[in-house]
Amino acid sequence: MSDNVAVSVKDLHFAYDKTEVLHGVSFDVNEGDLLFLLGPNGSGKTTLFKCLLRRYDPSSGSIFIDGQDIHKMSIQALARKMAYIPQAHFPSFNYTVLEAVVMGRTSYIKNNSAPKADDYDAAIAALDKLGIAHLKDKGYAHISGGERQMVLIARALTQKSKVLIMDEPTASLDYGHQMTVLSVVKSLAKEGYTVILSSHNPEHAFLFANKILMIKKGNIVAMGDPDKVVNRQLLESVYEVPMDLLDVTRTENNFSRNYKVCVPVFNEGI
Amino acid sequence: MSRYSEKGINWKVILFLIVLPITIFLISFALGRFPIAPKDLVKILLSRFFDIEKTWTDYQETVVFNIRLPRVLVAMLVGAALSAAGAAYQGLFKNPLVSGDILGASAGAGFGACLAISLSLSSAMIQTSAFIFSIIAVALVYILSLRMKGNQTLGLVLSGILMGNIFQAGTSFLKYVADTENKLPEITFWLLGDLSKVMKGDVLLALIPITVAIIPLMIVRWKINVMTLGDEEAQCLGINTKFIRAIVVICSTLLTATAVSVSGMIGWVSLVVPHLARMIVGPDYKVLLPVSTVMGACYLLIVDDLARLVAAVEIPLGILTSLVGAPFFLYLIMSRKEE
Repeated sequence: MSDNVAVSVKDLHFAYDKTEVLHGVSFDVNEGDLLFLLGPNGSGKTTLFKCLLRRYDPSSGSIFIDGQDIHKMSIQALARKMAYIPQAHFPSFNYTVLEAVVMGRTSYIKNNSAPKADDYDAAIAALDKLGIAHLKDKGYAHISGGERQMVLIARALTQKSKVLIMDEPTASLDYGHQMTVLSVVKSLAKEGYTVILSSHNPEHAFLFANKILMIKKGNIVAMGDPDKVVNRQLLESVYEVPMDLLDVTRTENNFSRNYKVCVPVFNEGI
Repeated sequence: MSRYSEKGINWKVILFLIVLPITIFLISFALGRFPIAPKDLVKILLSRFFDIEKTWTDYQETVVFNIRLPRVLVAMLVGAALSAAGAAYQGLFKNPLVSGDILGASAGAGFGACLAISLSLSSAMIQTSAFIFSIIAVALVYILSLRMKGNQTLGLVLSGILMGNIFQAGTSFLKYVADTENKLPEITFWLLGDLSKVMKGDVLLALIPITVAIIPLMIVRWKINVMTLGDEEAQCLGINTKFIRAIVVICSTLLTATAVSVSGMIGWVSLVVPHLARMIVGPDYKVLLPVSTVMGACYLLIVDDLARLVAAVEIPLGILTSLVGAPFFLYLIMSRKEE
């Protein structure tokens, strides 16, 4: 893992009208990092995301990507540096998977033009890489939620941007598809993509992240290697619920794995 | 060498799009209260360019050039304009159930026409007033939406509904105070929408603004695909959403305003035709927008032929488009296999 800073957030403040929801957030994400952004509902997680995507203008502070201030970049230039992977949603129009993926090439296509053979090749290559090329002619509305999430990742890959921003990619998926999607994300990070991913599941962070960022009420409460910085007290204070954090070691066929499991404690009667 | 070329050009679709309008165009000429044999028709049309022995009457020639040709052309132009605007708006608003007058263009035009009729202005002024008020209505909607916080698309829809209602209230007021002997019937008839009063001069009046508006839409049409993902995704994919949205709104408004000012209120075309086109060629605007435009021209021409022929008295086109359009739309929705 290199130490080149891919994304740098410096003293970011953001306020809706007069209510400040981000109180000076600063952090760096290195190239190849898989950063999990954790925090309870209303913590400012979504606001931070919108600022990263330049949907919101912060009241002060700045965000740099590859050393460039995102507010000084054109929309196209930013799209070539950073791709957004939203939660899989049901589309308004039933584009084919290939048509949906080739839209990732938008920042390379002039306003008066349409995708060319090269763009379709890039889209097919991205689908191939994720092993879903067989879906290319299917209707985007007719594939499963897990497949749709993979299609959105393929779309981001055609954007050729090294930073991927993912909004709760596992939110509506079953266990199997959660693992499929997160292992794909992990392998992309190993290839050198920088991934910033929001999640409500600390266990996923233990399994996949090399870095976590926990925020609560607009402040960073923990940052770093999840195994080092996350403990029971932190989880309890962030989520405001009694928690158990267990280290589990499982040995099978002389091969042992360590897990961290966290479970909220349910006390009947309170 | 690339393994996968661009999606191949679909020659069948292109051929269909050329043959269909020409066929319907020629048939429509021959139809009418004064039937003209196809052979004579072709000769009359060609006589303007070639020296052909005259085997037809002057009367037939007048009917072809001064009455039928303008009407057929205007019907095609209006159908094309309404359908293109509808298709573009459906993409912009991410909703296949949106029609071309979502931003109040028709309501504004209706008010403008009623105002001019109430003031006893000439028919040219009625058209002009309809056009101007249509543009004013949408401009107000657009300005209002910019001042709304949050989702700008939703802002446009809400201000569209609001402004549409205000202009409709204005129209109702004008109808209420109108002279019931002359003005009220004229207003009512204008609002029904028809092409029976189309004259030679209307062709250019419709052709110029419709051409001016449809060209930019055609140029940026692929990017409308990306707009259907919503502002946030579209912007993150690298689109200047404000710019594309402005082009779609301005051009579609110009199209709707022109169509409505020439023909009056003609419902359902902008909703039904893009839907039908989407079922045939899919949602990609690169193909969808041209196909919608051509199909709209054919559709309105067919309905206008029906309006001329079905009954002894001509039926206003607006009534027929609803009568044909609404059940047809229901059929489309119900015959859809899945989704």
